[in-house]
Amino acid sequence: MAYVELHARSAFSFLRAGSLPEALVAEAGRLGMPALALCDRDGVYGAVRLHMSGKEAGVRALVGSELTMEDGSVVPVLVATRAGYRGLCGLLTTAHLRAEKGEGRVCWGELAGAREGLIALTGDEEGPVRRAWLERGPAAAAEAGARLAEIFGPDALYVEVQRHRIPGEERGNAFLVDWARSARLPLLATNGVLQATPESAGVVDVFTCLRHHTTLDAAGRRLAFNRERHLKGGREMEGLFGDLPEAVANAGALAERLDFTLANLGYRFPDHPVPAGESQDSFLRKMTYFGAQQRYGSVVGEVRRQLDRELALIAKLGFSGYFLIVWDLCSFARERGSLVQGRGSAANSAVCYALGITAVDPIESKLLFERFLSEGRTDWPDIDLDLPSGERREELIQEVYRRYGRRGAAMTANVITYRGRSTIREVGKVFGFPDDALDRFSTLYHGGDLPQTLELGEQLRMAGVADSHPRLRALIETCRRVRGLPRHLGQHSGGMVLSTEGLDRFVPLENARMPGRSVLQWDKSDIEDMGLLKVDLLGLGMMAALQDAVEICAQRGQPVDLARIPKDDPAVFRMMQEADTIGVFQIESRAQMSTLPRMKPQNFYDLAVEVAIIRPGPIQGDAVNPYLKRRAGEEPVTYPDERARPILERTLGVVLFQEQILRLAMELGGFTAAEADELRRAIGFTRSQERLDRMKARLEVAFRRNGVDEPAVAYLIKSLASFALYGFPESHAISFALIAYSSVWLKVHRVAAFYASLINCQPMGFYSPASLVQDGRRHGVTFLPVCVQSSDAKCRVDSDTTVRLGLKSVRGVRAAALESMLAARRERPFASLADFLRRTEFNAAERRVLAGAGALNALAGHRRSALWSVEAFHGGDDLFGQAAEAGEEALSPLERMTLLERLQADYTHLALTAGAHPMRLVRPMLHGVRTAGELGDIPAGQRVRICGSVITRQRPGTAKGFCFITLEDETGLANAIVRPRLFEEARLVINLEPALVITGRLQNEKGVIHVMAEEIAGMPDLGLPEQASHDFR
Amino acid sequence: MTYAVLIVPDFALHALCRSDPSLRGRAVALVAGEGRRARVTEASPEARGVGPGLAATLAMSRCPGIALKPRDPGAEVEAHRLLVAAAFTLAPRVESTGAGCCTVDLRGADRARTEALMRLRVAELAQAGLPLRIGAGATPLLASYAARCAGPVLIVDDPEGFLRPLPLAFAEPTPGQQEILRGWGIGTLGALTALPKAEVGRRMGAEGALLWERAAGQSERVLRLVEPARSFAAEWAYEPPVESIEPLFFKLRRFAERIALELRGAGFVAEKLSLTLLLEDGTDYRREFRLPEPGANVEGWLRVLNSHLAAVRTDARIAGARLVAAPARPPERQEGLFDAGLKDPAAFWENLARVAAIVGDDRVGTPAPLDTHRPDAFVMERPAEAVAPPASAPVHSACGPTLRRFRPPWPVRVACEGGLPARLEGGRLEGRVRAALGPWLAAGDWWRPEAWAVETWQVELAAGGVYQLARSGAGWCVEGMLD
Repeated sequence: MAYVELHARSAFSFLRAGSLPEALVAEAGRLGMPALALCDRDGVYGAVRLHMSGKEAGVRALVGSELTMEDGSVVPVLVATRAGYRGLCGLLTTAHLRAEKGEGRVCWGELAGAREGLIALTGDEEGPVRRAWLERGPAAAAEAGARLAEIFGPDALYVEVQRHRIPGEERGNAFLVDWARSARLPLLATNGVLQATPESAGVVDVFTCLRHHTTLDAAGRRLAFNRERHLKGGREMEGLFGDLPEAVANAGALAERLDFTLANLGYRFPDHPVPAGESQDSFLRKMTYFGAQQRYGSVVGEVRRQLDRELALIAKLGFSGYFLIVWDLCSFARERGSLVQGRGSAANSAVCYALGITAVDPIESKLLFERFLSEGRTDWPDIDLDLPSGERREELIQEVYRRYGRRGAAMTANVITYRGRSTIREVGKVFGFPDDALDRFSTLYHGGDLPQTLELGEQLRMAGVADSHPRLRALIETCRRVRGLPRHLGQHSGGMVLSTEGLDRFVPLENARMPGRSVLQWDKSDIEDMGLLKVDLLGLGMMAALQDAVEICAQRGQPVDLARIPKDDPAVFRMMQEADTIGVFQIESRAQMSTLPRMKPQNFYDLAVEVAIIRPGPIQGDAVNPYLKRRAGEEPVTYPDERARPILERTLGVVLFQEQILRLAMELGGFTAAEADELRRAIGFTRSQERLDRMKARLEVAFRRNGVDEPAVAYLIKSLASFALYGFPESHAISFALIAYSSVWLKVHRVAAFYASLINCQPMGFYSPASLVQDGRRHGVTFLPVCVQSSDAKCRVDSDTTVRLGLKSVRGVRAAALESMLAARRERPFASLADFLRRTEFNAAERRVLAGAGALNALAGHRRSALWSVEAFHGGDDLFGQAAEAGEEALSPLERMTLLERLQADYTHLALTAGAHPMRLVRPMLHGVRTAGELGDIPAGQRVRICGSVITRQRPGTAKGFCFITLEDETGLANAIVRPRLFEEARLVINLEPALVITGRLQNEKGVIHVMAEEIAGMPDLGLPEQASHDFR
Repeated sequence: MTYAVLIVPDFALHALCRSDPSLRGRAVALVAGEGRRARVTEASPEARGVGPGLAATLAMSRCPGIALKPRDPGAEVEAHRLLVAAAFTLAPRVESTGAGCCTVDLRGADRARTEALMRLRVAELAQAGLPLRIGAGATPLLASYAARCAGPVLIVDDPEGFLRPLPLAFAEPTPGQQEILRGWGIGTLGALTALPKAEVGRRMGAEGALLWERAAGQSERVLRLVEPARSFAAEWAYEPPVESIEPLFFKLRRFAERIALELRGAGFVAEKLSLTLLLEDGTDYRREFRLPEPGANVEGWLRVLNSHLAAVRTDARIAGARLVAAPARPPERQEGLFDAGLKDPAAFWENLARVAAIVGDDRVGTPAPLDTHRPDAFVMERPAEAVAPPASAPVHSACGPTLRRFRPPWPVRVACEGGLPARLEGGRLEGRVRAALGPWLAAGDWWRPEAWAVETWQVELAAGGVYQLARSGAGWCVEGMLD
């Protein structure tokens, strides 16, 4: 029997090992190992990745885990049976759920209770036996071993021996061998693997330092003795254990005893409770038909045929319960007055539409049902629900926990990996690089993982690390190896996995950092690979804003039913064509606004295209310009193959949507529905380029076999590759377009409610509240300042064009004190400032902030007067003191604030101003600077200078190093493009200055105006307040 | 003119710059705070566009090439001592008010003579790298305000007119008071004192009333006087240690300037100078110089010192230095109760230095194992003053043969068969290997250029004897013999 490594950790042991499961599998395969057991610390975090990569490499992936016990020792266990796996998951869940994140410990008593189907090893230097031997000697070690033997018995406990060529280790091994023989326990040779190959040993050292918060120089003997803890083949292990051949042989034999792999997880999705006499299928049919009658009026013809086809397939695949559960969640949300809308490929299903899960009629939109569900599919279909972010979404999440229990539902994990700047920062610290260099690096390359135009070495040089630095090469090499390894486990934005059988039978659960949330140990892809069903309950800021706007309109007697607003409103499309889309969903970014005047959407489908086209997929696939040119009649509409015409007709011969790729694969490549589904998964599976490459190769062959000519094959394959970079399914684009349309409609027809709701739902969207207010002013909305006599907590619409800013906007005021003040005002209005001060619970700082923000002007006359008066109030029971204060508001000796002072106070306390844009004040001091509003009247090619607050800095991965900056002034927005070279020269100025002066040539192409920057400088300090900017996200 | 205040604006920055010649004429800023929260506290005029409160990152953006430095407490102490010494030359009642600030009680001083002295000190300290400003007024507070406005000497005769336009910051409001007053639009001392004091006190409490008084220059206080220097010495360290004597000359002048001023303030002159170079290896180099003529003339001292130093060669880098001037009338000295336990420490260290001169510096001391897996890695430390008590007994007592290390190890050629050492050749040890055990592998410092990896074997020679072999990048060697 070939040797099998049965004690390996992966980087999913979080800072305790240095290789991904995939790397371990690859090396095991290279070494001819038939199987490999992964024992990550306190979990099975990497088990699915090992399983999936093992399946491809022909290496059987065995499941295990290292359990941290209550006394701090670590017991490795291997899973022999499904019962053992379930016991292990339960054990880990119990340990994790009762402790803070990362602090879970298994009790010895619990281990005894869960021993069935598990095989224990005595472990390495952290194991109970060797640890006791090292710290307390042979007698203590034998005692620790006896406890394990008592729990697991001689058949399920192996005495683990490891040889890492370290002087002195044989003394410990000699004890283990003697003790094993005396206790009649089998020996097991393992290498306690921490890295796939010796080259990754440095990563383990770096992780050790990170774990111990130290540096490589100071870590001393905490670092690895040598690089021997890597995967070793059978021959090498036989050589190492020449004197203990049975220990090596036992490894192979034990591997064969381990029946369990993740291939037979046994997960079953929960049924939905149905009325007596109904089955899941019959009840789904009943509810679908009922819903369809509400949607369509009558269920006949094409509608009936489509519903029957879908229902038959859903029943055949056993998914009826799933649809009913999602339907029930949507109903729950709606009953509580919450907006909810399905997104993603679910919008391709007429059943989903009938059940009210989605809002798009797939029959009318001619959407491909197979994109959502097909017979060959082995995984569960995806239904993602968009909900208003915040409380309403949390309410639904907690309802799911309530229904399924803490061990029946959990959030999907999100594996946070070492990326870009954080890698350099953390690894650089461990290498002992000075803080100032790392700080400078972080500053130069701030804003997340933005694509760099420079090599890492060059970036570090710019940060002050000399080329000749003796550790530079090692740092770069280590960062390369560390990049992509897991750093910690977060939670997915909304994915929940459910089970009525107990989810902790299938995967361990643990507490999330967020109170009231638990998370399972696998991420989205793992869950999909394991066939677990996930429902995404996603919070969308815009859904919250729409919900708020609808409620405002209803309160004002102007109710709006977003499902029934006309989808062909010319005013709505006019606003889009003019790129007047600040604040609206999806089409408000700089890139979208640059495309809208060229695209000129004229109908709802155009909007869906607009939503989909400014994505990395179509941009990289060179779909944008051809589409826009064809649309403008500047180039003829052609098709890569005549057979593609029906598929690409709506997008003028250009591939824009995922569905089109799939249909082209089926129509032109002869792919079956199952193969098309495999292709869909390969596109969406970002982890494996190989998988995508294999599908590309298969499709290429299939196209050629079906007579597609070479240029067409090349075009289609390029489109496929670009979709792996993220492109939208058509159904998803249509779902988003619905929200986008609704938001534009509100901006046109309920303008005050639109802006009020956007400000109420901050943070969200692309623009800061300050920019939204300025945009609102340009649309005729008057924003009334915050006022304790008039304002509510949130923004309120007082007339069709008037918004009263809410007191929640005032920074530094406690919500509880605000609520208390509003309650006091509801009893009776405040008669005077003294009355206000006496009847409210604001502390001195809050009183000062309210006065500074102008919220007390109605009681005090002006801000300074209020500031003077509030300082004289000291609260408490000093009745005499208060009486003296009552009549003094008029006695303030202070002068009113100047306009600039008021502006600064607004930004300090509110981060916005209801008044004029700050740039208006400094305009007279700026010479030779054009306003944003003037740029449209200046001939292209002229050299201009623009100036304003930076409100966006963007450097998308698709832009080849170009940076896009948006400046805001009192007349609107001005866009500038910065070439990579200039960006690198002015990187710090661009990244850090809150307001810029940009000089360059004006470009005006069909109304899309940019300044091609030639010089960039920070704006002179004229005392203007600093504005928030949306950077690199 | 009752009080004078001596002040050095941007004191911490000037203290740093006068201690580091490389910063002369450069854009320099002091920063405080960690990482991205680091802010500029003081900036040199060359640092255009950079001022206090600016984020360090923005400073880098606005002024490329700027040197951003943390404060140097040692340099500040030294600069402040120079300032105190200058103050003592004006009058004997001196308060060390704060970093870079001294207050002098001038009662009884002749105005004309004092003013002349002030200007003289300003010129001297400017030479010594400290731009001194001196203000004088009826109260210490008024004198302090005057010093901050002085260019470089200002005597206030009309307090009210002087105070009115001064910025509020002169009265040093707390952040809380600043916030309130900013809200009120109060930016000057005059604006604050225009408000009724009682109303200000009612709103801002007793602290507010005190602030009002400070704004009106009314605050009186008793000076906390300091004693003039009794010893005339300076000691400084180099981090990292310096390899040549040149950097010493610069610092020597700085310290000599201060000591000379202290001597003059106390009415002394130097009779003898004692210079000690503290070397990196823990030893030092000492010389005494009896001045040809006792005096407090810095140039004269430096001539003596520099001519000697120009010829000095030290065995180790210079980690610090000490300069002591013996005044013409030396103070009484008393032996300390807690002097070192060694009977004659000087002789001990001198002997040790002699030994080191024979066997080499790196071979003298107490070996202490390094925290590394590298075999036989240790460092020679200075012998401990006392022997530490033995640690508790190890869990596993030492066993196996003892290795007697050859120092240095013996290079050898090893012929291997089947991956095992088979024969030793070409060294001090030769012969066929009867049995070999190993290898043990160790590696480390992979992140440094001096990364190492060692393979260790134990071999028994056919001719007898068990030895430990090691193979590294430098080839094979015999590390020692196993008993």
